[in-house]
Amino acid sequence: MTVSIYIASTLRTYVRESRAELTSSAATVQEALDQLKREHASLYRSVCDETGAVRRHVHLFVNDDFIHDRAGLETQLAPGDVLAIMPAVSGG
Amino acid sequence: MRYAPLGRLGQERLAASKVLVCGCGALGSVLANTLARAGVGHLRIVDRDFLELNNLQRQVLYDEHDVASGLPKAVAARNKLQAINSEIEVEAVVADVDHTNLAELLDGVDMMLDGTDNFETRYLLNDASIRFNIPWVYGGCIGAEGQTMTIVPGETPCLRCLMPESPPPGTTPTCDTAGILGPIINVIASIEACEALKILSGHRDAINRTLMVFELWDSRLRQVKLDSLQGVDCATCQQRQFPWLDGQRGSHTAILCGRNAVQLSFPGRQELSLENLAEKLQSVGNVTRNPFLLRLAVDEFLITVFPDGRAIIGGTEDIMEAKTVYAKYIGN
Repeated sequence: MTVSIYIASTLRTYVRESRAELTSSAATVQEALDQLKREHASLYRSVCDETGAVRRHVHLFVNDDFIHDRAGLETQLAPGDVLAIMPAVSGG
Repeated sequence: MRYAPLGRLGQERLAASKVLVCGCGALGSVLANTLARAGVGHLRIVDRDFLELNNLQRQVLYDEHDVASGLPKAVAARNKLQAINSEIEVEAVVADVDHTNLAELLDGVDMMLDGTDNFETRYLLNDASIRFNIPWVYGGCIGAEGQTMTIVPGETPCLRCLMPESPPPGTTPTCDTAGILGPIINVIASIEACEALKILSGHRDAINRTLMVFELWDSRLRQVKLDSLQGVDCATCQQRQFPWLDGQRGSHTAILCGRNAVQLSFPGRQELSLENLAEKLQSVGNVTRNPFLLRLAVDEFLITVFPDGRAIIGGTEDIMEAKTVYAKYIGN
């Protein structure tokens, strides 16, 4: 009963061993973020602000949907789902 | 022309089109090159920068001779593009795109393409797109990752629907802090160019209506549906507020006389964390920090950043160079 959390390459410096994917037993997007807060504090700070709100330039997708297309932070995660964390990219 | 959906009529429409390529670094090189070879009749290339040797890794229009010549990118690009296709018209504009000159740069233009390296200019392009009803294509890259989205006013969500606020300065990596893998530039710019060919040839029905997100190193592509953004109460495309175009948002610059320094400030921005910025910049140069400011010494520059995002770029009195240095290391 696990889901994957896919980390954009630009955020992997905040994850031990620069891993691309973390596994989670979270049942919702919010639970997955809570897990990041506990286990990957600097990654969490890049994703959420001091109030716990998702930073407005960071996109969260469940599979290929914006979480707003589902139930936002309360979006349910099913086994095999991938929660992707992708900040906007500015280079060019 | 032989590609059936384009056809003779489509090709004629391309020849009669005028495109603003905004920024002619990595993305802009590929955009301009592709459109010139496709026969887009009029390209206006605008860029504020000069060439450096390390640009050649990804900025495919240029070579070592161009670097040695010391030419501005826009001029070097025009020379190369005219040699590629002498039948089209190429204009080079050496300028920093801002709210004072964008309307003029858009004179007669059918669409804009994003070859910029910062969000400030992208929000400005987005304001102008909605205000003047001109389509544009957003493209951004970092590392092996790239994103692109096509914006047609009145038909698709706009950049601000996707991202209501730009990242606070220093919170996202830049090409100079995180590096960039050459091929992702070609992928994103090629999609941007193809979107332009569809729109300019009269095939708006064929445009990409998703946010395309590539992670090339992991061989991943996501096409994220934008349906949920359609009809959000967007400040730009619904409420028609254009703070970047009106000059209320964006950088305010000043040359600090006698100090060989330029100050850049960004009214209305969120606070930035000097602690996080210091962490990001450790590998770039010598970083020192106190609760009030952060200093980065890199190359010949001494960059001082304040928590409100204001920065003083020491080592230059050239506003364009200071902005380039800021975009390189702090990001915006």
